[in-house]
Amino acid sequence: MKNRLKVLRAERDWSQQTLAEKLNVSRQSVNAIETGRYDPSLPLAFRIADLFELPIEAIFLRDTES
Amino acid sequence: MARPIQPLQPDPVGQVTTEAPGRPGLFRRPSTWGASIFLAFGLILLLRITDAIDATTGFILMVAAMTLMFPLVKTALARQKAQGYLSPAITRYNRRFLLASFGYVLGLGLAVTINDRVALSDGETILIALLPIIPVFGMIWTMARYIVEEEDEYLRHRAIMASLTGLGLVLTFGTFWGFLETFEVVPHIWAWWVFPAWAIGMGISQCWLAFRDRTGGRS
Repeated sequence: MKNRLKVLRAERDWSQQTLAEKLNVSRQSVNAIETGRYDPSLPLAFRIADLFELPIEAIFLRDTES
Repeated sequence: MARPIQPLQPDPVGQVTTEAPGRPGLFRRPSTWGASIFLAFGLILLLRITDAIDATTGFILMVAAMTLMFPLVKTALARQKAQGYLSPAITRYNRRFLLASFGYVLGLGLAVTINDRVALSDGETILIALLPIIPVFGMIWTMARYIVEEEDEYLRHRAIMASLTGLGLVLTFGTFWGFLETFEVVPHIWAWWVFPAWAIGMGISQCWLAFRDRTGGRS
């Protein structure tokens, strides 16, 4: 699943480590999600959405979307 | 002289932000202590096979070599902390596994020593065999508890994938070897090898996944 996590993070000038600390997860988790190697669970996806104050579908995109 | 660990580099959008430019000193690297343990065990095994040392000396040396686990765990935890995240579940896992490993070396040494020197009944032999078996059960329980206790879902996912890789290796190799053994092509292998074989498969998988995380690659 594609996502806009890297772009959203860059807009806020956050490092992966900063985002990981805000989400209370490991930096490896952020890296794996950003690169599309791991799709987060629904609870974590909601936490990410809450942090960026965006709906989930504005962060995580269907594979058919560009 | 050991160089200090460099601070994390500010890289707001980089794929990997934890690769510090400076490497820690030789004695602060987990790889140094891991290699030392393998070398020490290899050397003791060689001395024992060539009958340069007796079983008791070999046992004492093995216990001594096991103390290298302390700096290995300490440097590994320090490295994880320097990389920005140290899961409480990993800390508990390391402490439990270290205890179980010591229990295993002590239990195995005692069991072999007693079995070699004392004539035991079948029942007594089973009890003696439990000395190394119980710590191995402790290791398996420790691994299971880690998966239960790890709150970071990606690290938990990684551990589960590594466990399945180890299981796949054991099933594949065990089936392959078992049939060759049935047709008397290869010698017999004791069944307790399943645990080390599983752990090796798990370790290889964890190394690969950690490498992929460091490089930010996609499988």
